[in-house]
Amino acid sequence: MTSKVATLSEAIGLIKDGDSVALGGHTLRRHPMAAAAEIVRQRKRDLHLIGWNSGIDFDLLVGAGCARIAETSYVGISGFGLARNFRRAAEAGSIEIREHSEISALDMFRAGASGMAFIASSVLMGTDVPATNPRIATVISPFDGKPYTAVQAAHPDVAIIHAHSADRHGNVQLDALHWPDNDADVFVGWAGKTTIVTVEQLVSDEAIREHPDFTILPRDAVTCVVEAPYGAYPCCCDDRYTYDLDFVGDYYAASADPAGFARYLDEWVFGLADHDAFLQKVGVDRLLAITTKGAL
Amino acid sequence: MAVALAPATTEEIMSVALSRQFRAREHAFIGLGTGDRAFIYAVGIPTVAAQLAADRGVDFCLQYGTLLDPSITGIPDSLGDPDLLDWECAARLPVERCLDVFRRGLMTCSFISGAQIDKFGNLNSVRIGREGPPKVRLTGPIAQADHAVFAQRTFVIMPHERRVFVDRVDFISAPGHGDGPGWRERQGLPGGGPDKVITDKAVLGFDAVSRRMTLDSVHPGVTVDEVVAATGFELLIPAGVGETPSPSAAELAAIRGRIDPTGKLLQARIK
Repeated sequence: MTSKVATLSEAIGLIKDGDSVALGGHTLRRHPMAAAAEIVRQRKRDLHLIGWNSGIDFDLLVGAGCARIAETSYVGISGFGLARNFRRAAEAGSIEIREHSEISALDMFRAGASGMAFIASSVLMGTDVPATNPRIATVISPFDGKPYTAVQAAHPDVAIIHAHSADRHGNVQLDALHWPDNDADVFVGWAGKTTIVTVEQLVSDEAIREHPDFTILPRDAVTCVVEAPYGAYPCCCDDRYTYDLDFVGDYYAASADPAGFARYLDEWVFGLADHDAFLQKVGVDRLLAITTKGAL
Repeated sequence: MAVALAPATTEEIMSVALSRQFRAREHAFIGLGTGDRAFIYAVGIPTVAAQLAADRGVDFCLQYGTLLDPSITGIPDSLGDPDLLDWECAARLPVERCLDVFRRGLMTCSFISGAQIDKFGNLNSVRIGREGPPKVRLTGPIAQADHAVFAQRTFVIMPHERRVFVDRVDFISAPGHGDGPGWRERQGLPGGGPDKVITDKAVLGFDAVSRRMTLDSVHPGVTVDEVVAATGFELLIPAGVGETPSPSAAELAAIRGRIDPTGKLLQARIK
């Protein structure tokens, strides 16, 4: 069996300027932040970002000038408020926003993951959302002659999710399914033409085979796996660690204006060679403080 | 020894007013993604209202994100995953099933808000400004669009300000009664749309014929004129508008002693 193990730099190198790139995670949960930082470091441009409930991941990429289109139901920094880089870009007209509700956003990944052309239901009827998004259209049902909303499948050029473990062949696991919103990442991962998975740990074949029920993506659905411990930081990661609200708060403050955010990028992204250097700078004390005892 | 209770807060009045809207059996979804004032309106007030209704005998299934029927006494200290995962509950659904609950029409009621609402109860949480780049970018449609389409009844919980209560919203992200009678039916919307609007000043409803917003009652200490002044469109005001009933001593004691003893819900003391 072929090894699917890659470095973060190699994996993100698969993304081309102009690609559609889907990012997993939800609000302040399990966004693939190590991967997002590497996208910034490699100065990708004109990306079409796709998410279902986005946050600091989209805001970082928009603030760093990597994106041309943002397609999602929400971009916010949870309790802190609206994502400031995203808001500035929207108000300046420098980014195109394709709106979704949570259901339609999940539908595009669900359809993409399932090989369906679109999913039809009454979602978003009576709203102004479809006019913003070419993926959403009205269809007439051949069965009852009534109008429904069709949400076209998403097949992102590159899908990136952060999961808990994988073997070297690319069999990817979550510690448990159905933890708050983590099932959405399964659809995101399956929908990608190229699928990059960062994981907390690369583990042995035996460790994966001991709990086959927890494999969410088998190796044929995965292009490469990258070991990136704390790869969702400062977001929380299921039962492994919680979020670092102090770090998120500092980010939020730094993003208040473009100059402050440029300093943030210099200090926390461009000034650091890779994710390992980022973790060194965050420091052991801070990482241990958010780590759940059960995960140690 | 009888202890005098401090007067009801506005949030307590809103919670009690909302609690009186529920029927024998309800299923509601409450999202968990916001903080501060938005948290009080989106999570705190609906949760307290549902618990008060449950005290009265309403069979209330509360769904917090993907969690069903969690214990009210176990509300976590933070919404971070490890704390959320410790919240004892009856079911943790896959996220797609949780959203299917909306689409299947199983949600009897839901709670939504926005930056703008108009006289037909349409909500905007996307943008200020109709054309071109937004003057102000807002949070996005999130799940509110889905609540407003599919829930049997929606309850809108908003601050009562003139810039919020506008004649026509700049963007419909969560549909209310559209442009009036028959609109939801013509659009093919399965849910019933907004039923009541509960603000920090008043309880409002929608006229059965015109579907326009009407004033039901003003909260204790608030005048009809103050409500009119804080509303940017012509509100229907029936003769003899009364006062929103004050919470009873038993309701206040339940809120402060059992439902929200540490202010997590009505004071957003949650991380």
